[in-house]
Amino acid sequence: MQAEVARLRRELDEALAQQDASAQVLRVISRSPGELEPVFEAVLANAMRICEAKFGHLLLYEGDKFRAAALHNVPQAYRDMWQQPMRPGPQTGLARMARSKKEFHIPDVTAEQAYLDRDPLRVATVELLGARSFVAVPLLKDNELVGAIAIYRQELRPFTDKQIKLLTGFADQAVIAIENVRLFDEIQEKSRQLAEASQHKSQFVANMSHELRTPLNAILGYTELIIDNIYGETPSKMREVLRRIESNGKHLLGLINDVLDLSKIEAGQLVLTLADYSLTDVVRTAFSAVEPLAAEKKLAFNVELPPDLPRGRGDERRLTQVLLNLVGNALKFTDAGEVAITASSGNGCFNVAVRDTGPGISAADQEKLFREFQQADNSITKKKGGTGLGLAISKHIIEMHGGRIGVVSAVGQGSTFSFTLPITVKHQARPA
Amino acid sequence: MSKCILVVEDQEDNRQIVRDLLTTTDYQVMEAENGEEALAAVAKQRPDLILMDIQLPIMDGYEATRRIKADPGLNGIPIIAVTSYALSGDEEKARAAGCDDFVPKPFSPRELLAKIRKYLPTAA
Repeated sequence: MQAEVARLRRELDEALAQQDASAQVLRVISRSPGELEPVFEAVLANAMRICEAKFGHLLLYEGDKFRAAALHNVPQAYRDMWQQPMRPGPQTGLARMARSKKEFHIPDVTAEQAYLDRDPLRVATVELLGARSFVAVPLLKDNELVGAIAIYRQELRPFTDKQIKLLTGFADQAVIAIENVRLFDEIQEKSRQLAEASQHKSQFVANMSHELRTPLNAILGYTELIIDNIYGETPSKMREVLRRIESNGKHLLGLINDVLDLSKIEAGQLVLTLADYSLTDVVRTAFSAVEPLAAEKKLAFNVELPPDLPRGRGDERRLTQVLLNLVGNALKFTDAGEVAITASSGNGCFNVAVRDTGPGISAADQEKLFREFQQADNSITKKKGGTGLGLAISKHIIEMHGGRIGVVSAVGQGSTFSFTLPITVKHQARPA
Repeated sequence: MSKCILVVEDQEDNRQIVRDLLTTTDYQVMEAENGEEALAAVAKQRPDLILMDIQLPIMDGYEATRRIKADPGLNGIPIIAVTSYALSGDEEKARAAGCDDFVPKPFSPRELLAKIRKYLPTAA
């Protein structure tokens, strides 16, 4: 009975020690995602401890030679031998293990043929290290030999089947680590390539947009000169058509600018120009730019501004762009009723809202609104125009100011788009 | 005597637009296609105002502006940078180089003329 308890006790201790060794190796693997050396050290050290070996190596198989990736408890002379990769003699345990791709156990290396044949590696292990019992297990990946763990005892004491099995487990861990590192490197390389490709694409779009704008500038410039009678009195009929050319040209320009802005945001090249500005001026600029559109659609267009708004610090041009986008959308989608801009300040923030009596936006569509190329309803793009980029760009700009943008709406209830940003923006923030 | 404006611009259409715009006014127009030509033109005849495109071959508008503003005989000439929207930070860079004002591209001829009149109010 007591003997039985002692045996169970011993087995339990062994199992715990094995668990612990395995866990230690796993910890090292997870700690060093890109490095193999610490993993090999941990695998070998724990394997030797669990298998009660005196010294050992973890070898990698490259070409037809073994290279020492970790050596434990060996004198410098032996270590020096392994400075160069080695091809063990055909009769050595390592060579036989390599051929069979299976564990190879030699209870007494001094009785081994390779020793009797004076194989240099075998002679060294026996005479420099005093090796007696030996076992080697292969590191196999897809049944290809990629390395080995070979461990020794200085006394004649064969390794048990259980120990050999455990050693095979450590070999598997080493293979997993090798594979992890390879995948890790591969992913890093892939992500580097991806980032580079994306950068190239954004740069291309930025360049292309610039090239598209050059001829458009000429078209708009000449058109304006003709409208302004620079080339002689322009007949009113022709002037009407020219205005249409002008407004289409400006629309096209706006689309190109949107694409350009987004490509700059994606390439991380959008930089805010932080300076003092007046929110009142921003609101007035946006108001006067779109007032004709409101008048044309016979919409009430109102501004509610407190008289005492403090001066802010931010990118005035970009904030004007955001407000123009919001108010432009409101006017575009509202066919009757009112559009209103309200601005206020409090708690160190500006709050700006654009309220409309338009069709409203369902909760599901609201989620998509601020993403690139998403209008609530694709058919709207065809009818109302726009790239669907405006809100995505506005969101980036507001977030770069350290602010937030959002919408409150329900179908049939109109919409209120609003943004909040610090009155004083000291640094450009990275958009979420 | 009518005031003279130097237009530094590499795009033929843009030069033509400014030329056509200014024919109806009392301003005289000189033209240069890059920064180097601009410096040569300025050395030959002192303009009353310079419209400076920024992206130019051979020598860009920043460098040309810096050199003109470094010359005590020329640094009184107002320089209006014509900056492209495509490049962020152009405005600050233009001001840092010494430009007195800037007009973003695409420029409206009407607005450009208003800006010119701000600096050269005496002409018709």
